[in-house]
Amino acid sequence: MIPAVALKQIEVSGSARPDWAALARRTRVRGMAGQIALAAFLAIVSLPIILPYFWMVVISFTARTGGVSADVLWTACAVIVPAVLLYSLVHLVVFSPGTRLAAGVGLTVVALALLAWLVGSRLHIDNYRFLWRANLVEEIRRKATAGGQFPSVWTAFTNSLALALSQTAVIVTVASLAGYYVSRFAFRGRALFLHGMLVAHAFPAMTLIIPIFLTLYWLHLLDTILGVMLVLTAIELPFYVFVMKGFFDSVPWEIEMSAMTDGATRRQAFVLVVLPQVRVGLIAVAVFAFIRAWEEYIFVRTMLIENKNWVMSLYLYWVADDVMGVDYGIVAAVSIFYVLPSLLLYVFCQKYLTQMTIGGIRG
Amino acid sequence: MARIELRNLRKDWPGVTAVDGINLRVDDGSFVALLGPSGCGKSTTLFMLAGIYSPSDGEILFDGARVNEVEARDRNIGIVFQSYALYPHMTAAENIGFPLRFQGLEKAEADHRVAEAAALVQVDQLLQRRPAQLSGGQQQRVALARALVKRPRLLLLDEPLSNLDAALRLTMRSEIRRLQRHLGITTILVTHDQIEATTMADRVVVMNRGRIEQEATAEDTYRRPRSLFVAGFIGAPPINLVPALAAGDRVTAGEVGLRASRPVTGEVVVGVRPEHLRLAASGVHGRVAAIEPMGREVLLALDGPLGRIHLLIAVGAGMPAEGAQVHVDFDPADTLLFDRSTSLRIEDVTLTPDAVVAV
Ligand SMILES: Nc1ncnc2c1ncn2[C@@H]1O[C@H](COP(=O)(O)OP(=O)(O)OP(=O)(O)O)[C@@H](O)[C@H]1O
Ligand SMILES: [Mg+2]
Repeated sequence: MIPAVALKQIEVSGSARPDWAALARRTRVRGMAGQIALAAFLAIVSLPIILPYFWMVVISFTARTGGVSADVLWTACAVIVPAVLLYSLVHLVVFSPGTRLAAGVGLTVVALALLAWLVGSRLHIDNYRFLWRANLVEEIRRKATAGGQFPSVWTAFTNSLALALSQTAVIVTVASLAGYYVSRFAFRGRALFLHGMLVAHAFPAMTLIIPIFLTLYWLHLLDTILGVMLVLTAIELPFYVFVMKGFFDSVPWEIEMSAMTDGATRRQAFVLVVLPQVRVGLIAVAVFAFIRAWEEYIFVRTMLIENKNWVMSLYLYWVADDVMGVDYGIVAAVSIFYVLPSLLLYVFCQKYLTQMTIGGIRG
Repeated sequence: MARIELRNLRKDWPGVTAVDGINLRVDDGSFVALLGPSGCGKSTTLFMLAGIYSPSDGEILFDGARVNEVEARDRNIGIVFQSYALYPHMTAAENIGFPLRFQGLEKAEADHRVAEAAALVQVDQLLQRRPAQLSGGQQQRVALARALVKRPRLLLLDEPLSNLDAALRLTMRSEIRRLQRHLGITTILVTHDQIEATTMADRVVVMNRGRIEQEATAEDTYRRPRSLFVAGFIGAPPINLVPALAAGDRVTAGEVGLRASRPVTGEVVVGVRPEHLRLAASGVHGRVAAIEPMGREVLLALDGPLGRIHLLIAVGAGMPAEGAQVHVDFDPADTLLFDRSTSLRIEDVTLTPDAVVAV
């Protein structure tokens, strides 16, 4: 029973009608302030990451032999930053998608026009000459260094592609099969195997570089793409097996049982029913494996020697080593060319990569 | 269609015996329910029948032939899992047609069979949807169609209704029953819901801790439970079990005395179902501790010298209030007598009233 006094109080406070409109306004203002704060925070945090890349792009399209000046960068920033800020403002205030899009397109056009007018005359693609002139570096330095002729960038590109694709293929195949096996089957030493893989992953592979070097030498795999691919695959595999195990763990047993009572063999059940459930995992593993192989430097630096075996990271290193201080533009252009495949892959597969932790989090 | 037989079937997991030597016959075309509490080995039994688990010991026979070594895919069994286990990346039509992929049928024939199965369970309008776009009941129907499309010799249902709401459960119960009769297919239903088991199946197999407690018709499990476990498991609200002492032809539980039709000795348990108790002017007395409305009836909890006793009475005039002192009476012919040491029912004994000892 509620005492009568208390009842009276409830009635009194209930009769003072709250100002709903004011409450709603407060929520709106708070929400907007929060959004602005978040956007500002993200912008400030991402600045140190974006600015160097942006500068690299600017340098690659503007620098000429002899030096780098930053004025184009600042001019471009002076145009782009206000444009971005303006668009953010529009985004905060306007809610109709049509208007937002129109504002975005309009601002982009204005910004591009301004850029063309201010810095358009300074842009050129000379720094990308390396793409079609194989001996560019020698021409600049007038003499060969770094052990003879520079290979064509396409040789390095093909080598990188071969390394990354073969490594991706092996990793995806082995990691999915092993991950499935570890996820589904009880076998003697399973726990030991899992622990071993964790330790193997935590172990800094760099410490093994001398034994690996010697092993490859004895196997006659030193200075071959195949040798490096095998080494990198072995080092990376434990992690991917774990990731795939997580994805397989989240596929319910029943659908496999169901497939087998429906007439499928175990292998058919795996291919027709289980694999499609872990598609996201396969894509994520493939993308990460590819990018890791593409960006690998330490091991390829140690184990690939002849310039016909160079991969893109080595090519970039030797270009930088040879022309640095003379021609920043070429270094920047090679860098852009080098990161472009990873970047494109990342952008196109982003939605799968963000899901990777979801599957991978289950041990 | 097939006649199924299990002989001394056993399944050991590391550290636990899930199925502990069961013997069972299922006649061709009959509908049997495996009923038991969670973890008693129902699903394990089902999966051994399906060929997914291999038995640790014992035999499974289809039409008299041992099939222990026959692979799941060669047994031609339709199974509906508790979670339905639909393939998420396939449409309903592809799900239903999946078993036909392995039978080398012409496409036209396969499509026809899929349409036929879908019509049978009334999902023909939903064939292009994926499982995620279907409601629980619709998923359940698709799973049923997938199990039936290959015209299996045996249909296994693992708690197929447990994810449905009450109304849908009622519909699906009679639906499945109708289909089973119509197709004449041997069916084994796994459930822990006794109403489901007793309303759908011809015979009920009550399981407990990997063993079969009783195999009988639904009515027999209620009227003549073989053991204390079955008596307690079948019937809702559950039976009242009161410890008693038997000496000669007299059975005494607290203030209640009963006369047995033949001499019984030792510690026994007297069971009376709540629906067989009634309020009376005299008899066992107790205080009404709780009143629980159950629709047409009311469940009273009484605290008395026999411990807590439940009785079910019709709603109406003369309802005692909470805290009231009441007396209850019963027809001794409705009581069940169990041997406390073996937990089994003492059969062919009828009880008759004896003097009520005044307290
Ligand atoms: N794959 C397995 N490995 C180990 N133990 C298992 C496995 N499957 C089942 N068990 C154990 O076997 C026993 C019986 O399990 P089962 O799944 O047959 O029970 P159930 O009667 O179907 O129960 P529920 O009604 O909860 O589904 C349980 O103790 C369970 O823990
Ligand atoms: Mg189960």
